[in-house]
Amino acid sequence: MQEQFLADKAFEPFLAKLIAAGPVVGPVGKRSQFVFAPLRSPAEARLDYDVTILPPKKLFFPPAQDLVRFDGDKVEGCIEPVAMVVFGVHPYDVKALDMTDLLFKERNEDRNYLAHREAATLVAMTPQKASSRAFWGSIGTGVEPKGHDALLTKVPGGWIYEARTPKGTALLKHGDFASATKEQSSAARKAGLDAGRKCSANLKHPAAAVAHRMKTVFKDEKLWNGLAEDCFSCGSCNTVCPTCYCFDVQDRWNLDQKSGTRTRYWDACLAEDFSKVTLGANASENFRETKGERFRHRFMRKASYLNEKLGGPACVGCGRCSAACTADIADPVRVIDTIMGRPS
Amino acid sequence: MKGYCACGVADMAVKPDPGSKDKGPNLFLPRKADVLRAEQTTPYEKHFTLRLADQSQLEFQPGQILEVGLMGFGEIPIGLASSPTRKNTFDIVVRSVGRVSTAVNKLEAGDSLLVRGPLGNGFDLDKLRGRDILIVAGGIGLCPTRSLIQYILDRRKEFKRFILMYGTREPKMQLFLDDLAEWRKSKDIELHETVDRADPTWAGNVGVVTKLFNKVPIDPETRVVVCGPPIMFRYVISVLDSLWIPRENIYVDLERRMKCGVGKCGHCQINDKYVCVDGPVFSFAEVENLEEAP
Repeated sequence: MQEQFLADKAFEPFLAKLIAAGPVVGPVGKRSQFVFAPLRSPAEARLDYDVTILPPKKLFFPPAQDLVRFDGDKVEGCIEPVAMVVFGVHPYDVKALDMTDLLFKERNEDRNYLAHREAATLVAMTPQKASSRAFWGSIGTGVEPKGHDALLTKVPGGWIYEARTPKGTALLKHGDFASATKEQSSAARKAGLDAGRKCSANLKHPAAAVAHRMKTVFKDEKLWNGLAEDCFSCGSCNTVCPTCYCFDVQDRWNLDQKSGTRTRYWDACLAEDFSKVTLGANASENFRETKGERFRHRFMRKASYLNEKLGGPACVGCGRCSAACTADIADPVRVIDTIMGRPS
Repeated sequence: MKGYCACGVADMAVKPDPGSKDKGPNLFLPRKADVLRAEQTTPYEKHFTLRLADQSQLEFQPGQILEVGLMGFGEIPIGLASSPTRKNTFDIVVRSVGRVSTAVNKLEAGDSLLVRGPLGNGFDLDKLRGRDILIVAGGIGLCPTRSLIQYILDRRKEFKRFILMYGTREPKMQLFLDDLAEWRKSKDIELHETVDRADPTWAGNVGVVTKLFNKVPIDPETRVVVCGPPIMFRYVISVLDSLWIPRENIYVDLERRMKCGVGKCGHCQINDKYVCVDGPVFSFAEVENLEEAP
């Protein structure tokens, strides 16, 4: 599809029309940080954001999501997707959504996630800034971002809009677009290529070498216990991760004590009781008892177990875990450097 | 999503997308099952005979699990304890250990509960047919294996020698007393029982289940099924090794925290395997190199 150009002065009216047509979620400022939130006006959109506190995953797989509702004996599903436009998603988050799409789809299709995802139109955006902990320019470089409906890139004097699906094309009617010139298109391509260099952190090791080394150091308890020594098992790294999708399921009663919901909540494999089962008579078995084991499990998931399925690591380099970690031990760049520097 | 969405999207008008409806079932929607019979078999365990409320047949393989629950309490993974060869009804045994199991165990005949499944992979019956079969069950491990035991007894000619070793902590912890009484007399099954600690009612073997191997010769070509507490696996496997039984001929029925039962929630993972969809039945050869396996 021919790329389209939208002049700077036509941008706000475009976004205003999108907002008028239906819910649009985009990056907005929250104190000194950014979050994805429903846009009430184009002026709220902070398209110069570096990274959001939580990834856009929360729109399709919210921190708490009802799976089933009940009222007395009546039990019913509650998949109620919202047809929304998600605007300004950085490519690393697009990659992460593509991964969660695949993981929720494989073997048993999880409609509670997929229906929300399918109802959304994803407008990606070439990043204008990178957070200080981001390393998306150097991880999973062989994995192309896909699954988005359009890509928006800032160029001098305006924006280049590349529709990738019919849903992306459908948005064109809301703006005063013109066919992009060769110069404008090549400026967009250059901006795309340059974007990765905005990251100050860099992963020096190829994914395949890391995946292999992860397996060889699996039993190195000293390594993992050392890496996890300061871990508080708080699960902040899991909570902010765009590719983490583990959840707990809990039933909740409404005040009438008759009706309620079965709801899934984000869970964290770093939390102490994540793999714990009761055996009865006050006995229990924790299949991942130490913080070293739990820390290792997370890194195996990110750098090894899923690589074959996803075509690359299950980490997109957003740097959220590095920034969120209470003890500052979660930074994948540092952890992988330590592992790769270890004699095998 | 109403009410629980931190991002505020839920507060906006919900516009159901017709394009995404009816594309597939809600994996978490349970089916109602009626309790036909409920028997408190031990102080902790209750044996339920169930039938789907819509009278339809539950199709399953021995070794598969169900998510069993009550709305407002939750769900727990429970192995099916009866054979699919016995039509119309199915059995489960629930041990009272937590919130859900305690609530389920208050149910009596005439009540109903909710089930999802069957889930996961059961026993590969084609690999067991025409072979000597040994089942080693410890404690509540007899429940999921009872499904296979009944299956073999119902199709006895398809299998060769059939041995069951059953160990419990104390005699009063024994499950399926009627079955045990029948199996002790039966020529179709060689039942060997033991208890860790005897009481005055017990005249049989005393000691851990591995001690039974001293009394029962096992052919190295035997296919072996092991199900019990995690500690039991280690000891049984080492005895089986000493009997030259190849590890691909040993099947383990594993227990983990299978919360969703559909391979998503992550709680039951052993390395990169999800016990709820890759198992719960594995050949030991499949899991022996998984560092997180027992």
